[in-house]
Amino acid sequence: MRRQVPLLITLVVGAVLIIAAFIPRAPFGGLGENFSLYFDIIAVFAFLLGGGNLIRIHGMRLVRGVGMAITEAKKGGGAWPLRFVIEFPFLAFGGLKDRRGRDWFFSLITLLGFFAMLAAGLLKLGNPKGWQGNVTTPGAMFQEFYDSMFNPLQATMYALLAFFVASASYRAFRAKSVEATILLVTAFIILLGRTPAGAYVTAWMPESLSFLTIPNLANWVMAIPNLAGQRAIIIGIALGVIAMSLRVIIGIERTYLGSDEK
Amino acid sequence: MARQQQSEKCASHKPARMGRASGILLFLMLALSASVVFAQAPNGGAAPRSASDPQAADTKGDEGGSIMLRWTLSPDDSAGQVTGYEIFRAAKPDGPFQSVGFASRGSARFADGSTDDDSAYYYKIVTTGPGGSTETAVIGPARSTAEWFNSNRANVLVIGLLISGAVLYYIASARKGKKLFIRRIAGLEAVHDAIGRATEMGRPILYIPGIQDMDDVQTVAGVTILGYVARTIAEYDTKLEVPTSRSIVMSTARETIKAAFLSAGRPEKYSDDMVNYITDEQFGYVAAVDGIMVREKPATCFYMGAFFAEALIMAETGNSIGAIQIAGTAMPAQLPFFVAACDYTLIGEELFAASAYLSNEPRQLGSLKGQDVGKSIAMLAIAAGTALFTLNQILRVEWFASAGQWLKNLFIVN
Amino acid sequence: MWMEHPGWVLFGTWVAALFTLGIATFLYKDNPVYKFCEAVFVGISAGYWFVSYFWQTLLPKLGYPFYAGVKTMFVGPAEWGWLVLLIPGTLGVMMLLRLVPKAGWIARWPLAFIVGYTAGLRLITFLQSNAMTQLQNSVQPVVRYDASGQFLGWESFNILLVTVGTFAGLFYFFFSQEHKGVFGRVARVGTWFLMITFGAAFGYTVMGRMSLLIGRLDFLLADWLHLIR
Repeated sequence: MRRQVPLLITLVVGAVLIIAAFIPRAPFGGLGENFSLYFDIIAVFAFLLGGGNLIRIHGMRLVRGVGMAITEAKKGGGAWPLRFVIEFPFLAFGGLKDRRGRDWFFSLITLLGFFAMLAAGLLKLGNPKGWQGNVTTPGAMFQEFYDSMFNPLQATMYALLAFFVASASYRAFRAKSVEATILLVTAFIILLGRTPAGAYVTAWMPESLSFLTIPNLANWVMAIPNLAGQRAIIIGIALGVIAMSLRVIIGIERTYLGSDEK
Repeated sequence: MARQQQSEKCASHKPARMGRASGILLFLMLALSASVVFAQAPNGGAAPRSASDPQAADTKGDEGGSIMLRWTLSPDDSAGQVTGYEIFRAAKPDGPFQSVGFASRGSARFADGSTDDDSAYYYKIVTTGPGGSTETAVIGPARSTAEWFNSNRANVLVIGLLISGAVLYYIASARKGKKLFIRRIAGLEAVHDAIGRATEMGRPILYIPGIQDMDDVQTVAGVTILGYVARTIAEYDTKLEVPTSRSIVMSTARETIKAAFLSAGRPEKYSDDMVNYITDEQFGYVAAVDGIMVREKPATCFYMGAFFAEALIMAETGNSIGAIQIAGTAMPAQLPFFVAACDYTLIGEELFAASAYLSNEPRQLGSLKGQDVGKSIAMLAIAAGTALFTLNQILRVEWFASAGQWLKNLFIVN
Repeated sequence: MWMEHPGWVLFGTWVAALFTLGIATFLYKDNPVYKFCEAVFVGISAGYWFVSYFWQTLLPKLGYPFYAGVKTMFVGPAEWGWLVLLIPGTLGVMMLLRLVPKAGWIARWPLAFIVGYTAGLRLITFLQSNAMTQLQNSVQPVVRYDASGQFLGWESFNILLVTVGTFAGLFYFFFSQEHKGVFGRVARVGTWFLMITFGAAFGYTVMGRMSLLIGRLDFLLADWLHLIR
């Protein structure tokens, strides 16, 4: 029973959704949208598990770490609160030996950030339009947090990609296979084609060879061989999704449900 | 905030001025074009001739509540004497008629989406123009109904059945014990070695099931692959870490790993702490994953699922700590970065095939053969259609073109 | 109001600038400053998303309609449509039973629902929007003439190349065929087409990533330090 019911649910839900794609009549017509709504709602409930896990993990690390830090401070003798304050940089920033509690200070910060955001957002603190205002009203504490912390952190993390793209390019550059070379040459042509430099480099070419100018070459690569590869990938993905969905629906792929008979 | 408002204010002068200028311009143009239209009107200012041959019938293949109207355009439509066609509806042939919509000139159909199913409706179509309007005869009664089958999608059904049929057929025949050959997939052959390596080095294994939720089929693929990876890990007794970016993925991954450890006969080794929710935020998640990487130095990193820009940040960080990296995604824009930064990359279809391959179970492998039949069907269709159209180009025989068009129409989704 | 005070705005800019620099220190190596930024980021972003789900999903999609529906039981004509919301509500609660050791197995039911939903829905969407659309676009003549009947060699070649490349790429994905002999060679050509596609995506992305970096530098130099205008 415990094993069969979930398999049956997957089978029925999946099969009904497939059939519903061909039945316009209610209740089948809008079934996909309805189920999507259900999914969204379940996701919010599930967040209580995720958020709870976040609190548990960081809470445990915090408690354990503070305990360790106090023990450490007491070792020195004298008034341990004083030592705790003096040795704070050491105790808080990775000085503890045991990994399980070492980063307690950062767990504290995570929890503070989490609860501050929850309080600001759920209670609409500082909202200029009061309780009726939208949670993202400019000037509300929630939005202020977003603008001065969330946004720059996100943008900077995203911007780090510039460096990682550079190191990935370097790596591709060193790879010495036909495939890697093709990838790199194509990338180079497209990259140049998107900059003024590309046009400049090949501007000397005579009209008869205009096909070989970088911008034209880049356009050609995008429109022809790139398209061929895209098509193969996209058709392949569709077939892969169809086969995997079928395996899941008929229940031969069930690792996610606690597979075996045991 | 004040900063933003300020910059918006600075910018707001221009649109206002430009708005005024363009308003004047628009007025001039309208006036000009109107005078041109009037000057061109062949029978200067008279009402346009009426649309003809009006028809009203239930909209096919829908959920009801809609009647489709069609007509032949007024002969004056292209001359600029028609502004459009107004649709009037009544419950009785002699009215009273009420307007239910307007189709602009050049269009010869209108779907009245406000009908009650199985009620009779009468329509007339009024052709309007600057010089007046003329109306068609009253047509009807028409009734809308909800259909049980969307005939517009019959082709989707046929092709879906064809491909699904192939997959199911090979699953069934593999189940009966028919031997199927499946080629080696290097990235998946490497899974065992990669796990073994982590065990030898005494370092953890990091598994990233993408950053999308369970409603993305790539995440489902990622989690099923995790099931097989976890089973091997259970045998090797290596530390596994699965940070997730969605709560549902966390729950599903826990169930999956728990089951895998159970079937490997090591249920006592399982712990919920293997899977942790980090944050739904894409870059917050990657900031934390990067932190885990540089601090715990996993020997092996798996990236299986849906990825966006963060893919490269993780893969490059993993590279910098010298981890063996096996990736798989169906995101075409991220594949090149995985290819450049990882040791093995499962490309698109291979991601969805991976769980079947790793399971090494005949039925699952059978489905891969079914996928291949699907590809053969696709290639056959492309080849046939291309050949027909090409023959038409060379030989100029119309039959080839219509046959090709028929084939092409099979793939048009309505 | 307080948040429009110039001092507060300046403070906000400084916080943003320091977080920007803090995250960037990761490029050198892991360090307490990065850890601090990471911890803040994880905490506030998790909170941010929960608040968003709460106001944008839970209340408008479940809470309000549910409340309005229940209200009709007492005031005005009773409506029953809201009862359908009991399905996701129940599934959501089942999800939470994971926390109850004895009833944890019930949490698999909503998971089974979700996986079935994803499989069923995506099967159809990928069939339609991926497979069929691509096939439809792939069917076209590989020999082209212009209006006057002149053979268009270059255009024809290009279309032929796309068709051949698509086929070769699909050959690569065959699982039930050993990549040996003629088949293997075609599949190899297929990987070249795939590599061109990857290279194109790679090259296409690089400039976009650089502009992100420039955007951050612009914030630091203009908004924060006022070194450039």
